[in-house]
Amino acid sequence: MISNLFSLINIKFLLYGFGLTLYISIVTIILSTIFGTVLGILRNSSKGLPGKLSAVYIETVRNTPMLLWILVTRFIVNMKPVNAGILALTIFTSSIIGEIVRGGLNSIKQGQWEAAFSQGFTYVQTLRYIIVPQAFKNMIPALASQFITVIKDTSFLWAVGIEEVTGKGMILMGSYASTTQVFSIFGMIALMYFTANYVLSLLFRAQQRRLVLQN
Amino acid sequence: MNGPFALFKWQALFTDWTVFAKGFLTTLLVSVIALLLALVLGILFGIFSTSKIKVLEAVSRVYVEFIQNTPLLIQVFFLYNGLPHLGVVLPVMLIGILALGIYHGAYIAEVVRAGINSINKGQLEAALSQGFTYWEAMRYIVIPQAVKIVLPPMTNQAVNLIKNTSVLSIIAGGDLMYQTDSWSSANLYYGPAYVVTGLLYLALCLPLATAARNFERKASQVPESDSEDKKLTYEEDAIA
Amino acid sequence: MKKLITISALILTLVLTLTLAGCSSKTSSASDEIQKIKDRGTLKVGVKVDVPKFGYKDPATGKISGFEIDIAKAIAKKILGDENKVEFQAVTAKTRGPLLDSGEIDMVAATFTITEERKKSYNFSDSYFTDGVGLLVKKASGFKSFKDLDGKTIGVAQSATTKKALQAEADKQGLKIKFSEFASYPEIKTALTSGRVDCFSVDGAILAGYLDDNTTILSDKFSPQEYGIASKKTNTALAKAINDTITELRNSGDLQKLVEKWGLK
Repeated sequence: MISNLFSLINIKFLLYGFGLTLYISIVTIILSTIFGTVLGILRNSSKGLPGKLSAVYIETVRNTPMLLWILVTRFIVNMKPVNAGILALTIFTSSIIGEIVRGGLNSIKQGQWEAAFSQGFTYVQTLRYIIVPQAFKNMIPALASQFITVIKDTSFLWAVGIEEVTGKGMILMGSYASTTQVFSIFGMIALMYFTANYVLSLLFRAQQRRLVLQN
Repeated sequence: MNGPFALFKWQALFTDWTVFAKGFLTTLLVSVIALLLALVLGILFGIFSTSKIKVLEAVSRVYVEFIQNTPLLIQVFFLYNGLPHLGVVLPVMLIGILALGIYHGAYIAEVVRAGINSINKGQLEAALSQGFTYWEAMRYIVIPQAVKIVLPPMTNQAVNLIKNTSVLSIIAGGDLMYQTDSWSSANLYYGPAYVVTGLLYLALCLPLATAARNFERKASQVPESDSEDKKLTYEEDAIA
Repeated sequence: MKKLITISALILTLVLTLTLAGCSSKTSSASDEIQKIKDRGTLKVGVKVDVPKFGYKDPATGKISGFEIDIAKAIAKKILGDENKVEFQAVTAKTRGPLLDSGEIDMVAATFTITEERKKSYNFSDSYFTDGVGLLVKKASGFKSFKDLDGKTIGVAQSATTKKALQAEADKQGLKIKFSEFASYPEIKTALTSGRVDCFSVDGAILAGYLDDNTTILSDKFSPQEYGIASKKTNTALAKAINDTITELRNSGDLQKLVEKWGLK
């Protein structure tokens, strides 16, 4: 009966999975933002080998399914399961963030660069003080959307046996088979994801409003 | 001579090429139909959300927020294993089409909403003052601009949809990813299998992604004075 | 189009390089491999965590225990002198092979059936247990034997020997069976409950963990499944050590004692 399902052990079981989901998401977001930004800047600014390599990386990775990268990473790299999962998600997410960054940098009018140079800024200084702050503001919605997607994408890690919250839910569903139990499990998992993502999106929207007001 | 990419594994792959072809066709079919569904839903709910009718706006809001904030996988699992408890047992391919159509429909709805909002109301008023009827104004002035703006993020969504068909592999859906998994878990030749699968997805997605970039470039080639509000800022280019 | 060709060319070059690398012989003396484990100080073993009595993680305590756990400990005792110097990692039918290849685990003790085809890719010890493929169905469905599943869908795990065994049996009896493959057992059970598959089939030992009030295991059992400990193909020294342990356990009667301890047939 429902009470069986909602025992303390099971709730802890699910919450532990959710904690893992959040942990993987946060680490992935941090790592892929760093790596993705580097990729985006390289692709945009460099005409030589780094730029071209970055372009190949971005285009290859972001045009293939995330599930493929999860499977490939898990089976090729010699790492603890959770770390392999983080690596896979980071590889994929970096390529998407690289594309967002490239687009963001592109959206800054050429005039800004010219004005900065005429004032004596070097390339890197222009990037750092003029371009990136403005570009960043433009990128926030896309970044927010991608961060939320990271949290949702952790659900795919279940395909390689990593027990984040979707996995825990599936395991429970193997033992609790009545209709109400199955629906309750779906409901709980959906609620957890929804809460995390909705809160995140609200935070981003508030931040954006604040930035717009500042201007 | 027994590494993950050993030659005999490649030979086995080419012998069994029909397995991959079957998966590829399923992926293609599901993608096309799901995309159509997503477009219909997206345009419909996008219009709802800018309709100024409170109820429609609310419905659209709930749809978008719920779908965008829960994982596709959970939605798919629910349709696959949850609905049957209520007596609704849909064939797997239909589940794929429905799930992907509904999921990406929410994202396209946001794109459409932003697109509609971004067309300056002044354009419509100016056109009407010049003697265009409402529908003529829409047809010759507003919609062409809207389409140019909306095309890049829409194409992005199409690419994401194609990639997301891989979710079918988790519910035994017969798509390319499932066939690859099935074939390579039986004989453990996963090296060549994953490479070929990656290339096949690339063949589908790369042209679309490149087209999206071209659309984006064309969309920003508008008179300087209007470029601020013409091009969709990244707010609307919600990437799934 | 041009970009696609460039990217494909790069990928193919990479793959060719890896293929050629895969052809080069790896020379490392047999004793080095065991030494590596001794240096590390722990034996890394892939086990199941969802098969009661073989490898099962207690949700309350988080501890893994079972028949295969005990065997793994015995092997650790032989190689490292201490049965507790062992690190368990949860594996599924799908992940156990690739993880062995990548070196993340030294050996697999996870209801891994010995087959001629698999022997091409891994070293197996002698069999330490024989099980058979079982069929789990819903009581309400009224299925009484394998014949009743003619034209029906059976859910199996990816990479398990089940599909082949069932197909062989179906061909023998002249039946037509459809298969749906899933990545983990709970998903197959859920599919059975929701009616997506008419039967959940895997080794009997594993099925026992998914039995509940609404389901029953059919009496049909076929295709004896011999479980063996698997290790990397090149790691011949480890394979020998493992096999010696199994032989010792059998000869001393300890293997039988373990079978009785866990209540296995």
